Amino acid sequence: MHFEVSYRPSHALGVAHLDAGESVRAEAGAMVSMTRNFTVDTSMSSRRAGGLLKSLKRGFLGGESFFTNLYTANGGPGHITFAPRLCGDMMVHELTPDRSLVVQGSSYVAAPDSVVLDTRWQGFKGFFSGESLFFLTASGHGPVLIDAFGAIEAIELDGELIVDTGHLVAFTEGIDYRIDKAARGWIASYLSGEGLVLRVSGRGLLYVQSRNPSEYGKTVGRRLPAREG
Amino acid sequence: MEYRIEHGPAFAWLRVTLGPGEVVRAEAGAMVMRSPAVEMETRLNAGYRPGIFRLFVAFIVALLRKVLGGETMFVNDFRGAAAGGEVVLAPALSGGIVQKKLGPGRSLFVQRGSYLANTGSIDTRLRFGGLRTLFGGEGLVLLECSGEGDLFVNSYGGVVEVEVDGSFTVDTGHIVAFDGTLDFNVGSVGGLKSFFLSGEGLVCRFTGRGTVYMQSRNLSGLVGWISPLLPG
Repeated sequence: MHFEVSYRPSHALGVAHLDAGESVRAEAGAMVSMTRNFTVDTSMSSRRAGGLLKSLKRGFLGGESFFTNLYTANGGPGHITFAPRLCGDMMVHELTPDRSLVVQGSSYVAAPDSVVLDTRWQGFKGFFSGESLFFLTASGHGPVLIDAFGAIEAIELDGELIVDTGHLVAFTEGIDYRIDKAARGWIASYLSGEGLVLRVSGRGLLYVQSRNPSEYGKTVGRRLPAREG
Repeated sequence: MEYRIEHGPAFAWLRVTLGPGEVVRAEAGAMVMRSPAVEMETRLNAGYRPGIFRLFVAFIVALLRKVLGGETMFVNDFRGAAAGGEVVLAPALSGGIVQKKLGPGRSLFVQRGSYLANTGSIDTRLRFGGLRTLFGGEGLVLLECSGEGDLFVNSYGGVVEVEVDGSFTVDTGHIVAFDGTLDFNVGSVGGLKSFFLSGEGLVCRFTGRGTVYMQSRNLSGLVGWISPLLPG
């Protein structure tokens, strides 16, 4: 199978073209349209997932639930289109066995079965900013379809960089990360509006998005009527 | 100091390259990424270099700004260290970024939420577009920016520049910024009946000569569309 991305860079739509018998695993809710010959199988994040209870636990505690749908083309070729929830760009990262890819939970869209997904819950919820981190590790080989809120910038990292957590899309193996407070103290970090940042270092490819979903949410949410209860 | 506006017009961000000791001040929460060598210092958003005694007053002003201005109380100063460095800044909503150079006699009024960053010695003062603006959530709360340096404003949607010579009327939610040389007056589009029924809310009437920067999207419009869809 292969992916195609249309309507870049602001309202991208991903298309997966599959031959008979091929499968693509996509984030639940991403599917826009598909040819009629697909069977759909909903499952937990990966073949190595801890089961329903673990996924639900991740859903409640991590703020992100990660269920995927496996679409299989039967009796002939087919295609499926995918769209993210927020406006922005989409891209395909070619995964090779020698270099795995860590993807932020909400940025993963779809990949074939030759890509193995492992969910690694960060276990650290951003108390102040409300940002929770949820990373997937994709290993194996094949194309991985990724989306972003805004534009995607690919950075060849060789050294160190400080990245606001909400702007992170993905990075390759070879890059280490450390979660840190934005400023020297906890209060200053809250006041700075940055909350938590990631200190990334090493050599590899880093993908960053030009908009931050939680900043967007706060800006709009601040004007909405208060929730009841 | 160099800057580049990239990824426009829909999801623009601002990349600033700082030399040693050079500073760019940005709205809190605007940072995307920075070189580790760039230091970040958080300050009260109450103008340029407030004196020690002004800090208490500044705190009150900043609090007022937060409540009425919709802007956070704090700004971050990013300073290049000995080896220089880079910082990338982005606004919260989709749209573009515009740079304006301010100098003596050139001031700019910027709508709340449209201020992104500035360099140099630019002073920002809170101004209101009339008491009536506080009704209906339309609000025209402005930051009067003056001094010397580069000012960066962001728009929700695309930016449209209009040279006004005479008079011009703009829906308040679509105003990004305008030259200090213009006179402005906020009111409803017609009489009382049209205020409630026209769905247009408040407008700003400009007179004189100067440039008005408008945005092609309106946050109040988005909020009005989402609100009835919320549960409860």
